[in-house]
Amino acid sequence: MHGRVKVKTTAQQEEEKKKEREKKLKVYVAARDACFSKRKDGVLDDEALQLTQQLLSANPDFATLWNYRREILTHLETVKDEDEAQKIYEAELSFLESCLKVNPKSYGSWHHRGWVSARLPRPDWARELSLCDRCLSLDDRNFHCWDYRRMVVKMSGVPVKQELEFTDRLIGSNFSNYSSWHYRSTLLPLLHPGSPEPPPSRCGGDPPHSCSPPSPQAHFHRVCEEQLLKEYELVQNAFFTDPNDQSAWFYYRWLLGRAEREEVISCAYVSREQERVAVAFSRPVNAQSGGLLLVLDGQPQRAEWRSVHPHFKHSPVWICDLPPGTISDVANEHNLTVHWTEKHTHRDCALYTGRSESWCRDTATDLELFRSELSVEKTSVLQSELQSVNQLQELEPLNKWCLLTIILLMRALDPLGYEKETLAHFQTLKEVDSVRSAYYSDLCSKFMIENTILKMEYAEVRVFSISDRNLTTLCHLDQLLLVTHINLSSNQLRRLPPQFAMLQCLEVVEADNNSIENLEGVYHLPKLEEVSLKNNKISTLADLQPLASCPKLRRLDLRGNPVTQTANVESELAELLPSVADLLL
Amino acid sequence: MAEEENQFEEFEQIDFLRDRHVRFFQRTLQVLPERYASLETTRLSILFFALSGLDVLDALEVVDSKVMIEWIYSQQVLPTQDKSNLNRGGFRGSAHIGIPYSTKGPGVLHPYDSGHVAMTYTGLCSLLILGDDLSRVNKEAVLAGLKVLQLEDGSFYAVPEGSENDIRFIYCAASICYMLDDWSGMDIQKAIDYIRGSLSYDNAFGQGAGRESHGGWTYCAIASLCLMGRLDEALSPRELNRIRRWCIMRQQSGFHGRPNKPVDTCYSFWVGATLELLDVFQFTHFEKNRSFILSTQDRLVGGFAKWPDSHPDPLHAYLGLCGLSLIGEPDLKKVHPALNITQRAFQHLQQLQQTWRDNAGSCVGQQ
Repeated sequence: MHGRVKVKTTAQQEEEKKKEREKKLKVYVAARDACFSKRKDGVLDDEALQLTQQLLSANPDFATLWNYRREILTHLETVKDEDEAQKIYEAELSFLESCLKVNPKSYGSWHHRGWVSARLPRPDWARELSLCDRCLSLDDRNFHCWDYRRMVVKMSGVPVKQELEFTDRLIGSNFSNYSSWHYRSTLLPLLHPGSPEPPPSRCGGDPPHSCSPPSPQAHFHRVCEEQLLKEYELVQNAFFTDPNDQSAWFYYRWLLGRAEREEVISCAYVSREQERVAVAFSRPVNAQSGGLLLVLDGQPQRAEWRSVHPHFKHSPVWICDLPPGTISDVANEHNLTVHWTEKHTHRDCALYTGRSESWCRDTATDLELFRSELSVEKTSVLQSELQSVNQLQELEPLNKWCLLTIILLMRALDPLGYEKETLAHFQTLKEVDSVRSAYYSDLCSKFMIENTILKMEYAEVRVFSISDRNLTTLCHLDQLLLVTHINLSSNQLRRLPPQFAMLQCLEVVEADNNSIENLEGVYHLPKLEEVSLKNNKISTLADLQPLASCPKLRRLDLRGNPVTQTANVESELAELLPSVADLLL
Repeated sequence: MAEEENQFEEFEQIDFLRDRHVRFFQRTLQVLPERYASLETTRLSILFFALSGLDVLDALEVVDSKVMIEWIYSQQVLPTQDKSNLNRGGFRGSAHIGIPYSTKGPGVLHPYDSGHVAMTYTGLCSLLILGDDLSRVNKEAVLAGLKVLQLEDGSFYAVPEGSENDIRFIYCAASICYMLDDWSGMDIQKAIDYIRGSLSYDNAFGQGAGRESHGGWTYCAIASLCLMGRLDEALSPRELNRIRRWCIMRQQSGFHGRPNKPVDTCYSFWVGATLELLDVFQFTHFEKNRSFILSTQDRLVGGFAKWPDSHPDPLHAYLGLCGLSLIGEPDLKKVHPALNITQRAFQHLQQLQQTWRDNAGSCVGQQ
C-alpha cells in the first residue's frame, strides 16, 4: 500500500471518477474470469497472453497470472523456432518495462523479468544494465532494481572490477548513496580478499555437525590491507564532504571492524569447599548436551554441567559439582583439565595443597576483550584515523557520527587512557542526539563497567566497585566469575538479572540506593554471606525468594524498601531465610 | 485557513481518536475502495489488519465473529478424498481462483489452487483473535503445504507454484509452526543459515544474502529466531549489540526502514518490535515516536497513513496502533512483538496449546 497524497476534488469530478471506475471494474472482472476459465481448460494461446497482459497492466501483483503467463511462454517456446521465441521474449521485456513504469516496486514484475532474461535465446545484458541505470537514476534506493542488477551481473559475468568502478562513479557523483556503499561492501572482499584467517565459526548449538555458516559480511577482515587503506581515504573524503550523511560512517565502521573472536574457555575455577568447578567461555555456549569434559588427575569425570540459571540454555558460565570428598582434603594436590570438544580447546588448572580454591584465566586485557570492536591490525593506522576524525570534529562539533566514531577509536586504542575524553564526548553526544540519549547512557554505562573490569585486573584484586555512575543496566557479568565483593551502590539499577548468578565467588553484595525490584540473579550463590539493599524498591516477599537459594546468607539489609511495611515481615522472613541471623529492616 | 482552525487542528492532532479508528476498521471489514482491487489476492491479510487492529483497540465486539470465522475457514485448502493435494495445504488469500465455497471437506482438486504462506499465517492469527480453537484447521495439510515451500537455501516460496523467495516467508513459516506447536513443517537449521546469510555489513538484515539492510527484513529475522527459540544460538552477543545499534539509529522522529529514507508509521512497529525483542526498546524516545505516529492519524476517517497528509490504509492503521501500543499508549492492548497479535490472543493460543499437549499425553498408544 503506497502512500497516496490527498487531493481535493469537486463533487462533480468525484461523480465522473466513480462512473469511470465502475466501468473499469466491469472490464477487469470479465477479463479475469475469462483468464481463469482458459487456464483451467489448459489453453495456452495468444489470446491468453493478451488477456493476462490486460489484467497485469492493471494489477502486476496478481501472481497467479504471471505463473499462467510463464506456462504460456514455456509452451510457445516448444512450438516456435529460436527467432520467433526471441521476438516473443523481447516483446515480453517491453511489456515488463511498461509495467515497471507504473509500479517500479512490484515483486511480480521484477521476478518475471528475471525469469524472462534467463530464458531469452540471445539475452542483451547491456540493455538490462541500462534499464537498471535508468531505474536507479529515478530512485537510487529501489532495492528491487539493485537485486535485479546483481542477478544480471551474475548471469552475464560482468567482472567484479567493473562493478566496483560502477560504484566508484555513483559514489563519486553523490556520496550520499547508501545502496551504492552497500553494494561496494559486497564487491570489495571479492576483488581484494584479505589474508586467510580461520573462518569465524558460530557453532555452539545442538548437533555439532550442523554449524551455521559465517555470514558473508563476517569477512570484515577479508579485505587486503593495501586496499583497506585506499578505502579509508575514499570514505574520509565522503564524510569530510558531507559529515551528516550516515552512509559513509556505516561503511567506515565496517572497514574498521573485526571478526568474531575464537570461542575459548577463558577461565576455569575450582573450589574445594563447594566441591565445584566453574567454567567461563568467551561467548555463550550450550554445554548441556555434552561437549564439555572434565578430567581430574588424569581421570575423565562423569560431570553434569549446568548453566547458572534455569533461564539460560546458552550461557557463558557453566558449573558442575564433584562427588563429595573428591577434592575436599586440602592436603591433596589436584590437576584439572576442562576440554571443550566442540572447538578442540581446553584449559588446565592446578589446585595446590593448602589452597582452598584455584583458577586459571585469560584476563580481559589478554584477550583485548574491550578493544575488539575494531581491528587491532596496526595501532599506527588507528592513531592516524583518530587524528583525521578529530580534525573533522573540530570543524563539526555537533556531528554525532563523528563523536561516535571517535569514542570507538579511543576505546580501541586505550580505553583507560581516554576515559575522561570518552565521558565528555558521551555528554555532548547525548545533547546533540537527544533522541537516543537513553541509549547513549546505557552504552556509556557499559564502557564504564568495562573500564572498571580493566582497573580491577590491573590491581589484581577481586573487588568490583562501580558506584554513583548512573548505571541503568549491568553487563559483562561473565567477566566477574572470580569477584568476591561487588559494590553497585548509588546507581539506577532496577534489577539484578539472571546473569548475575554467574558471580559464583561472590561473598558480599552492596547495592544500596538503586531502584532494584527484582533479585532473580541472586540465585544459588554458594559463598554469598552479606547483601545490602538499602533504599531500593523491593516490594513483596516474593521478590526475596531467590535469596533463599543462597545457603550461607547471614546478613541482609532491607532498610528503606517498601517490603519492610508488609505485615509480619520479620516472621515471614525468618521462615523464608532461616540462615539470616542479621536482618535489618 | 483561519487561526482558530489551525489551533483546533493542533489540539486534535495530539489526541488519540479511538472511535474513529474503530469505525475505520469496521469500514475496512465491510467494503474497500476500488483502488484496493489489486490486493484481492491477499484479502485475508487485510482482514487480519482489521481484526487485530480492533483487538488492540479492545473493540472486537463490533465484529460478527461467527461469520468471520466461517469465511476464514472457507479459504482453507481442504484435502481431497484421496488426499492427493496435501502439499497444497494452507489458506488462500481469497476466493479469486473460483473454488466453490466450502468449510467442510472433502476438497475439490483445482490445478492452480493452493495456500499462500502469508495468508496461512494471517489466517491462523485471525482465527485466534476471534477466539476460535483451531479445531477445524487441518494441521496435516497446513504443515505438508508448508514443507514443500522451503528451498535448499532455507528460504521459502509463498506458493507451491513458485514465486520470489526470501526472509519474509521464513517469518510466516516460523509463525505458523509456532502457532501449531509443530516444527515439522520446516527445516529450522536451514532457515537459520539463510537468516545468518542475510546479515549485512552494517549489521542488519536484507531480504537475502548480499541484499540491503532493511527494518522490515530485520524484524522478520529477529522475530523468526525468537519464535524458534534460537536467538542466542544464532547470533553472538556482539552481533546482537551491533544489530541493536543499527535499529536504534532508525529513529528520526518516528522510525524509517533504511538510512536516508523518510520516516514511515509502519516502522514504529517493525523496528520498535525488533528493539523490544532485543530488550532495548526502553532506550527509544517515546514522545517523538508518538508525535510522529499521531501526525499520520486521519482525523476524519480514522486510521493512520505512512506519512502525514496521506490517505490512511489498513496496514498502516494497524501498525500505527501497534507502534503506539509498544510505547504504552493508554487503553491499547499490549502486542506480542514476535507473533504480532495481542497478548490476549497469545494467551488464548497458550491455553489451546496446553490443551493439545494434555490431550496428546492422555492418548493411549502414543509415543
